[in-house]
Amino acid sequence: MKRSMSLVLAVLASLAMSATPATAAELNLFAWSEYVPQSVLDGFTKETGIQVNYETYASNEEMLAKLVSGAASYDLVQPSEYTIEAMRKEGLLLPLDHEKLSNLKNVGKEYWGQPHDPQLGFSVPYMQGTVGIAVNKEKVKGPVTGYADVFQEKHRGRIVVLDDALEVVTWAMATQGKGPDQVTKENVLATRPVLEKWLPLVKVYDSDSPKTALLNGDVDLGIVWSGEAAILMQEEGDKFAYVLPKEGAHMFIDSLAIPKGAKNVDAAHKFIDYVLRPEVSRKISEDFPYTNPNLEARKLLTKEELANPASYPPGNPKLETFRDIGALAADVDKLFTDVKAKSGS
Amino acid sequence: MRQEATSFSATAGPRRSPGRVGWLLLAPLVFWAGAFVLAPALIMLVYSFAERTALGGVVLAFTLENWAGVVDPVYLRIVMRSIVYAGITTAICLVAGYPVAYGIGRADPRWRNLLLMAVMVPFWTSFLIRTYAWVTILKSEGLLNSLVLQLRLVSAPLELLYTPGAVVLGLVYTFLPFMILPIYSSVEKLDGALIEAALDLGAGPLRAFSRVIVPLTSPGIAAGVLLVFVPALGIYAVNDILGGGRVDMIGNIIENQFKGARNWPFGAALGTTLLVGFALTYALVSRRQRAAFS
Amino acid sequence: MRLVRRLLATWTGFVFLFFYLPIVILVLYSFNESRLNIVWTGFTFDWYAALWRDTVLVRTLQNSLIVAAVSTVISVVLGTAGGWLLYRFRYRASNLLETLVFMPMIVPEVILGVSLLILFVTIGLQLGYTTIVISHVTFCFPFVMAAVQARLAGLDPALEEAALDLGATPLQAFTKVLIPYLMPAIVAGALMSFTLSLDELIVTYFTASAGTRTLPLEIFGRVKKGLDPSLNAISTVLIGVTVVAVFLTETLRRRNAT
Repeated sequence: MKRSMSLVLAVLASLAMSATPATAAELNLFAWSEYVPQSVLDGFTKETGIQVNYETYASNEEMLAKLVSGAASYDLVQPSEYTIEAMRKEGLLLPLDHEKLSNLKNVGKEYWGQPHDPQLGFSVPYMQGTVGIAVNKEKVKGPVTGYADVFQEKHRGRIVVLDDALEVVTWAMATQGKGPDQVTKENVLATRPVLEKWLPLVKVYDSDSPKTALLNGDVDLGIVWSGEAAILMQEEGDKFAYVLPKEGAHMFIDSLAIPKGAKNVDAAHKFIDYVLRPEVSRKISEDFPYTNPNLEARKLLTKEELANPASYPPGNPKLETFRDIGALAADVDKLFTDVKAKSGS
Repeated sequence: MRQEATSFSATAGPRRSPGRVGWLLLAPLVFWAGAFVLAPALIMLVYSFAERTALGGVVLAFTLENWAGVVDPVYLRIVMRSIVYAGITTAICLVAGYPVAYGIGRADPRWRNLLLMAVMVPFWTSFLIRTYAWVTILKSEGLLNSLVLQLRLVSAPLELLYTPGAVVLGLVYTFLPFMILPIYSSVEKLDGALIEAALDLGAGPLRAFSRVIVPLTSPGIAAGVLLVFVPALGIYAVNDILGGGRVDMIGNIIENQFKGARNWPFGAALGTTLLVGFALTYALVSRRQRAAFS
Repeated sequence: MRLVRRLLATWTGFVFLFFYLPIVILVLYSFNESRLNIVWTGFTFDWYAALWRDTVLVRTLQNSLIVAAVSTVISVVLGTAGGWLLYRFRYRASNLLETLVFMPMIVPEVILGVSLLILFVTIGLQLGYTTIVISHVTFCFPFVMAAVQARLAGLDPALEEAALDLGATPLQAFTKVLIPYLMPAIVAGALMSFTLSLDELIVTYFTASAGTRTLPLEIFGRVKKGLDPSLNAISTVLIGVTVVAVFLTETLRRRNAT
């Protein structure tokens, strides 16, 4: 018995010793799930020797919660535009040193001057996207042009939506003619009847990977991130379509930013600059076909990729960004939880 | 020599009083229990009276709004739902698991260990992985549907995944071993002679079962029920995966307060409520047990 | 009676089928060539090869093993010491202490995770290896202590008396008589600890950080993303390791049966 014990201990010890100690150069990246390809992280590590620890979240609120608690320290986060606005108000972001970001010029001119960060002093656009309707054309006949078309009785139990209180409430508000810049307590509570009509029809709530339910055939249509829809169209092109709701669609700009309390500020800058390289940005687009804000990278994309209507929507759809809603987030969340619980089983 | 306070010898009779050395040796344990069991619970209690800032931080002001939230019908409904799911799971586990535990307990000693191991092995593999396996089986284009469609038993795929049934299935699957093992423990200690006696005295198998076997194995049943009901109440991963995010239970709500909803004080209030509930239940059950065996 | 026995056996068989069906399917499909877990297209070891190249998976596995090993060692020390001390000495706070110690066993893991997170934030301890190990030890060592206490309940005091009569010092009596007697319980508790720590998801979810992800956390993330045969492969590997470990313990136990 003694021999097998020592054998076991020896194996464990060698495993422990072969693990790289946490004192080597590191970068703690806190980003959306399904957004940063492992190949990009590996490429960065190979070039700089800095190990990237990639932790994921499925909503801006989740990221904020962890950050604000001070529980863990991160070097890079990936907030959407309205979250950057909120974080700047509270002084949660470190200013960026543009001297260290030689590739910043690759970002398209239209991304400067946005209300949440006009000078790009605190954030660098990573990917832009929309939230729209993905439809399985084989299962869904008849036109689907907006939110109202999705939430019909005939689609009961065949719908997937994002598990995001703010998104869902904003869609409801859109059908009532109110935009995301009109989030007030009254407007939020006014969406209750709409939500009570919609949520019982939903089969799956998923912000991590809504395309899965669509690919598995468990649902026929849903309201998903544009990148997810683009992958659907890449995998089974003729089967799926992507439609931007006519009542008004959310356009989000996800950016990289450095939170206060970051320990590896230099490494963070290096990573941002690395990601801004056209070849690297192009790799990101390959895996996660959102709208790439890097114009030099867009030049490297294939014709099919540029023609994907989920990635690069044609025409002039009604797109709106979200604004920071501060303490109203609690009311939004409570309403969503309440109606979701009543509609569930 | 042997009577020194620091001697390690035991004497039959009352245990020795600890003395300074005894307390010193116990210090690490006391520290651990104090720092990592008692302190977190107390701090959580304090947080339940705190306020959240606009962005989701915590400000130590005194407010009762979180506790008002706990009794809000919105959340009470979810608590009820959790209790129902946990209760159904426990009931199914009891009915399904008791015969298995009994069978193994009364089996040939040569086979007993092997059978026990067979029950344990699934328990020792990650519950996540086992739950994921069920997704593969139950989804619309999954194995069960492929089989059933091929055999022409149905014309369209059955919607098995993302339903309450799938969640119960997953929960039973996860917790069945926790019911079987304690009951087996009790069954193993059964004196066969008692059952023989009951049957000899004319009791039918059913009577022997309900009047003799069940009461004698009640400690095992109680332990099994506790070991299934309690964790089932706080589960959030299994129902998340198998329920499609639709079957929110109290575990999900608490988890959400620390993630997306960013309302730590409210999460703390919910957490404290559950904690107190469990502590009380445990105290009650263990007092009953101690009374039963004194 | 025969009928009853036959019914019991059939039911038990059915339950075992229920237990093992998903596991068997999981293992089988880890060798399937096709990415979709339905149609069998061919036999391959590709997914296992992919595991080796998956640096993230390997790193999280290392993290999990280190955490499990360290947690088990601390749990064994705390649990054995606690079990023995509470048996030997009559402390006034025994009941309270026991309740506190066993609390993590009976409380849902969500609450454990959340309360520990609150503690760490309050005292300013950053999430990382230390916090994960603390969390794991807190709910693992009660198992060791329970096993040791159960074993001690059957201890014959005459054993130690005899040792001391024969000239052993109290320390020798402890190390050469008591510890070997407790070994089966300690080993059982240690194995329990190790397994629980390795498989732990929920508490770790709240107390881990980006740099210290464990394997269950990584798997949870991937499961949510969709079904990938390399998950089948890692599952099969873990199942294999578990079965081997169980086999080893049983053989050890049999050799040590006293």
